Formats: sequence, structure tokens, C-alpha cells
Amino acid sequence: MDKLKILHMYPAMLDLYGDSGNVEILRYRCRMRGIETEVVKHELGDKDTDFSDVDMIYLGGGADFEQQLLADDLLGLRDNIKAAYAKGVYFLMICGGYQLMGQYYKDSNGKKIPGLGLFDYYTVASTNKRERCIGNIVVETQLDDKSYKVIGFENHGGQTTNVKHPFGKVLAGNGNEFASSTEGYTEKNVTATYLHGPLLSKNPKLADHIISYCMTRKTGEKYIPEPINDKLESDCRKQLFERLLK
Amino acid sequence: MSLKNTLTIWFGKLMVKTLHLLGRDAGNAPGLILWELNKDCLKAFKVDCPIIAVTGTNGKTSTTNYLSHIFESTGKKIITNKQGNNLDTGITSLLLNNCDMKGRVKADYLVLEVDESHVPVIFSKMKLETLVLLNFFRDQLDRNGEVETLILKVKKFLETYEGNVVLNADDPNVSRLGLANPKNKNIFYFSVDRYAGATDQPYEVGEGKFCPRCGEELKYDYYQYSHVGRFKCPKCGFGDVKPYITAKNVKLDVPSVEFEGEEYKISHNSIYYVYNLAAVYTAANLYNFDKKILHETFEKFEVNNGRLEKFSVDGSELLVNLAKNPVGANMTLRVMNEHKGAKELLFVLNDNLADGHDVSWIWDINFSVFENVTRVVTSGSRAYDIAIRIKCSGYDPDNIVVKPDLDDAMNEFFKNKGYKYAIANYTAIQPTRAAIKRYKEKVKEGGTNG
Repeated sequence: MDKLKILHMYPAMLDLYGDSGNVEILRYRCRMRGIETEVVKHELGDKDTDFSDVDMIYLGGGADFEQQLLADDLLGLRDNIKAAYAKGVYFLMICGGYQLMGQYYKDSNGKKIPGLGLFDYYTVASTNKRERCIGNIVVETQLDDKSYKVIGFENHGGQTTNVKHPFGKVLAGNGNEFASSTEGYTEKNVTATYLHGPLLSKNPKLADHIISYCMTRKTGEKYIPEPINDKLESDCRKQLFERLLK
Repeated sequence: MSLKNTLTIWFGKLMVKTLHLLGRDAGNAPGLILWELNKDCLKAFKVDCPIIAVTGTNGKTSTTNYLSHIFESTGKKIITNKQGNNLDTGITSLLLNNCDMKGRVKADYLVLEVDESHVPVIFSKMKLETLVLLNFFRDQLDRNGEVETLILKVKKFLETYEGNVVLNADDPNVSRLGLANPKNKNIFYFSVDRYAGATDQPYEVGEGKFCPRCGEELKYDYYQYSHVGRFKCPKCGFGDVKPYITAKNVKLDVPSVEFEGEEYKISHNSIYYVYNLAAVYTAANLYNFDKKILHETFEKFEVNNGRLEKFSVDGSELLVNLAKNPVGANMTLRVMNEHKGAKELLFVLNDNLADGHDVSWIWDINFSVFENVTRVVTSGSRAYDIAIRIKCSGYDPDNIVVKPDLDDAMNEFFKNKGYKYAIANYTAIQPTRAAIKRYKEKVKEGGTNG
């Protein structure tokens, strides 16, 4: 049986809003399809993390303090990460993880943290620490050319601009900036977003989209995940759409 | 008394009287208005008795209730905010309700539960004799900011404070505060010896991973729960303190615990409850109470009010506990697992302002520990979120029933008889208790229970 290998970057530091739940959800949904998963971790200071054979790289969100601490470590991995990206490894990045892959992040104290520069966008946080985009959010994204509404919770001071391919259109909430029309960043093998919740908990189709991408890339055959019992998820989505999209 | 202070008190008393005449509860509103009018309104009160305050993320209400009960048992007059109301405004209202027209507060002791972030603002204006610090965990992040911000606020206050500080030696986030003012000689650490359920590896998500003094990763001999346990910094030695009181021989199966060579029977079988008792014992020790009162309190006193509260409902035994953060919920799951037989769980999750609108904290709850849980019922405004969370931990979704309405949830939950556990978050706990009582009434009246 094929085994999906997920590289979880800085799980001890980038784990502010239950974001590690995304990994748990991916593993759960793989398990239900008989796909084995293996999670390898890269923590601050690890020297021998193997990037070569992973199927997916995951980064969660963290506070300003943690982002500063790990910025140097992350920059040291630039070549490995760029190579993985070029090979088509899937990148799922939330909040702080999203910001760190851009050009730079200027935090609420005005301190500039260099990003990995994988993408063109950059982020500047308001120096007023109380000015944050906080609340439930719904965005409409495209999964294999079908539109899909994604529900989550945003909580960020950073305002991200110069985003070439947004993850989705904002239907309720703020998005990349205050009252923005767009949210996140996407490419065929990238989902970068501010959405916590965790992201995949209420958006099972997005989770399956990622699993399908990884399995198809791994096996060379189009992978179509079998449906599983997602009644709770669909009832939850119905309830929240009624509440948030009125 | 200055004219401003006199007017502050008169106006405040007038508000309280008016609210009472209208049949309203003077909970928070008078304090809120007074703070709007006069930022120094707390200074208008004359409090001559000692003040004991309890703060920390989890266990404030229980610890405050225990201490109040002990002080009251000796015939002392105490004033306390038993029901919470632990912000600056709530405490102002409490004092207004209990002072005369000159602002004099007549009591032997004030025993107060105080929100972590409000400790500095309140006690820069009133003299505090003893501060009890229980623990710091992640809690309602979108409302409170990060844990570190809160700790630094309390630390700043302690830097110039010279009164008694009762500190949890086993929580690095709390223990570090014993170093805030090197001149303060009144530092009293409490600790709990390793109990049978302690683990060598962390079992639940924790907060204190790195040494607050030098940044080195802390080394743990064992974890009691979350990041609470025996730790030490391998580089600078942080954590190596001599506790004033150590709870020994924790036996959750009895349940009992030993303080200073004496065995105490206790009424609940949870390690986090033992930590609360260790804090209570340490604080009480500073006031030289007869040990008989402590024995009786530990064995018989119940806070109820949704804190490990027991109900007998229509042939079922139910334990209800408040959990407003992952650690609180994990603790309740551990209590649940102490019961080895089959049981059912009700989880009520709301996302109101006081809960924090973000419910993603439920993903930090470790549901993989479920043992012999035959069914789960979920309720509250985020009933589906918690159901999904439990499902993705590997629990069979066919055994999860979602009933957002609380009365529907009770009908479902009590359909089968047996052992039951309920977890409810902050704004859910009182409505949950009320719904349980409504259900009990309905059954008593011979109504159907379907």
C-alpha cells in the first residue's frame, strides 16, 4: 500500500490555533481510504531533516515571537524547500506559515522578518496591536475548476499584498487585508491561507483535493477518493452558511 | 475622604439601591459605570481587612470557594465573589454591595477570584496580602492574547509586590514568577508528588516548553498533566525550588492525599483538583487554621456550580464539569477514564463573546484517550464543530448525535441510563445545568422522557 509522507514544519512552535488538527484530519481521511501516512517533523535546529521524498509540507500559524525565532532556521532550508516546491510537493500553509513563504513579514513592532521568498507577496502588520482581522470567514475557491466554499476563522494583524493568485474570493470576513475581496494564495500544489478552524475541519473537499493531488503525483494514476461518512461536516457547513452568509 | 471619593461612593450606592428596587441583580453594571466615571474608583473604598486573591487560568472559582468556606467555618465574616465576576468592574460592584455610605467595607477577610489580566489594575489600588497563583494555560486566545502576554502582566505587578505569594512550583509559567521580586521573602511554593497517572512524555498540548530565564528547553522527569510536572532547566537550574507544602501519596482510587504527614480524604478523583487543594492548603496554612476544618472541607465541601458537579437524573449518574480550554477538557476526559465501565459523554460548545468566537481550541483536546465511551451527544451553538472534532480522532460518527438545542440534547442524552459525563464551555455551563434541572423536573412530573 502507498504511504503518504507529510513533513510537519515546526509543530512545537507553529501550533497556536489548533492548526495541527489539519494533519490529524488528513491522516484520518487517508486512513478511511486505506492510505497509510507517515508524519515527519522538522523542529528548530534539526539538521538532518530529509526533504527529498515527502509528498506534502505543512506549516501552521504562530505568534510574532515564534516567527522571529524560527526565521533564521527556515532561511537555512531555502534550497531544500525550493527543490521540493519545484518537484511538485504539495504545500499547505496557514497564517504565519503563509506569511513566512512570501518576501517578508513586518511585525507589529515594525521589525522586518525576511521570508523564504518562494512567492511574491509580502505582509505588513499594523503597528496598532489591536488592529487585527478577527472573525469567522467564508471564501469561495476553485477545486479542479469547481467552485467550493471554504469556512474558517481568521485572526491576523498582518496585511498581505501583491498576491498574484489568491486562494479565494471573500464572501464573509476580511481576507488578505482589512475588508479585502481576496484571501490567501494558491497554485496547483500550494494552498496558503489565513484560515484557522482548523482549515480542513469544515472543508472536507479541500482535504480530499490535497490527498488526491498527492496520491496522483505519487502513483502516476488519477486518484479519486472514495466517499466517506461526512454527514457531520455537511450539516455543519449548512448551519454556518445560514449564519454567516445571510 | 475627598469629595470625589464621597461622590463616587454615593453615586455607586444609589445605582445599587436603584437596581435592587427594580428587582435587578447588581452584578457588573454599577462597577462598569463607576469605572467610566472615575478610573480611581477602587481607591474610594476603605478596606482594612486582609485581602486574599486567587488567579490563574483554571481552578480560580473552585479554589476561591474552598478558601471562603474554610474562612467562614471559623466564624469569620468574609466577602467573596463566589460566582465569578472577577474583572475590575465586577469586584467594584461587589465592594459597592458590601460597603457603607462612607465606602467602608466591613469584613474580616476579602477572598477574591481575580482574572489574570486584572490583577495589576486592581491591586495597584488596594492592598493585597496574599496572592495565590494556580497555573497558566492557553485560554480563549482571540480574546486574551497569548499566554505570555498575561504572564508578563502579572510578573510586572509582582516585581514591586512584597506580600505573600502562593505559587505552583510544578508549572514553569507560575514558578518563574517567584523570581519576579528577589527582595520578596514571602514566596510559598506548593507542589504535588508524582501520581500514578503521571507520564514520562507530554500527554496533552502544553505551554511551558522553554526556560523563561535562559531559553533552554526544559527537561521533565515526568508530567502530571499538560505542562505541569517535575521540570528543570539543564542549563541554569531554573525549577529547582524547595516547596513550602508538598502534597504526597495522591491516591485517586480512594480518593485521598497527604499533607504534612496527615492523610486527607478528598471528594474528587482528579489530579488537577488535587493541585487546587494543594493551593488551598498552602494559603490556609498562612492563616493557621485548625486542621480539623481542612479535613472536613476537603472531604465534604462541594463547589457545585458546574465544577465537578454531581447529578442523579432518572437512573443515571452524571458528572458535569466546566472546560473553557483544552487543559480543562483533557482533565475532564481523564476523570471520565477513571471510571472503567461504559459511559456516555455530552459536550456543549458555544462560541459567544465570553467563550472566544474561535472554537479551534477543541482540536487541542486529546480525544484519542476515549475508553469505553459508548455514545456522544453534542450541543450548543457549535455542536457540529465538536462532533467533527471527536469523529476525526477516530470515534465512530454513527455513535455521535448532534442536538444543538439543549433540551433536545437532554432528551437524547438521558434516553439510556448509566454513567454519564458532561463537559460545557464558559457560556454553556449555566444553561446546561439549567437544562439538566428542567429535564429532572419533567421526569419527576411523570412526563415522557423521549
